[in-house]
Amino acid sequence: MKVQVLFFGATADAAGSRRLGVNIDDGQTVGEIVERLKIDHPPLSSHNLLIAVNEEYVGPETALKHGDEMAVFTAVSGG
Amino acid sequence: MADFAELTTSVIDISAVARRVVPPECGATVTLDGYARRFTKDKQTGEVRETEYLVYEAYESMAVKEMQRLIEQAKSEFEIANVGIVHRTGRLEIGETSVVISVAAPHRRAAFAACEWLIKELKRTVPIWKKEVYAGGEVWVEGEASP
Repeated sequence: MKVQVLFFGATADAAGSRRLGVNIDDGQTVGEIVERLKIDHPPLSSHNLLIAVNEEYVGPETALKHGDEMAVFTAVSGG
Repeated sequence: MADFAELTTSVIDISAVARRVVPPECGATVTLDGYARRFTKDKQTGEVRETEYLVYEAYESMAVKEMQRLIEQAKSEFEIANVGIVHRTGRLEIGETSVVISVAAPHRRAAFAACEWLIKELKRTVPIWKKEVYAGGEVWVEGEASP
């Protein structure tokens, strides 16, 4: 199964990318994928991260499905 | 009269935005013009930075959705008629408008309260990020609250 992971701003700098395709196992959670991303891209660990899946904020326990769009970003600073 | 929530990369014409929120049953629109400031105090270090310019980046599809959700929530919580929000992304010079929020209501007290609530919530939940570029470098500002 595959999900798209999007990065913005500080997390895009930390991951060195704005978009990654990530292979996941059925039922893997957002939290598990974030941990994997932190191992692959250590600078991500120095930020408090927010996660959205399909444009909705979610917690780490949320299970992912094939084709989901996951976004990993820092606390927002618009306005 | 329809509400609107938009992103733009162009200079925002504040009066054009405000004039789009003039429902016939209302007598006034409250408009917030948020713009780039020159000096910022870092909340962590207390250091005051002089900004050369700002760059805003958005998770565009979710930002628009989230602004629309805030408008719906404001309309359910405050006695207001219509709301327009425009946020700019890309490079902004000091003094340039980053966000306009216009709220029309039959009575101005609700318009002021809703406008204040909307900017507070926008800064808390809408996926847009600001990068400050200053003489010593640049930094993506990380917000304080969690959505």
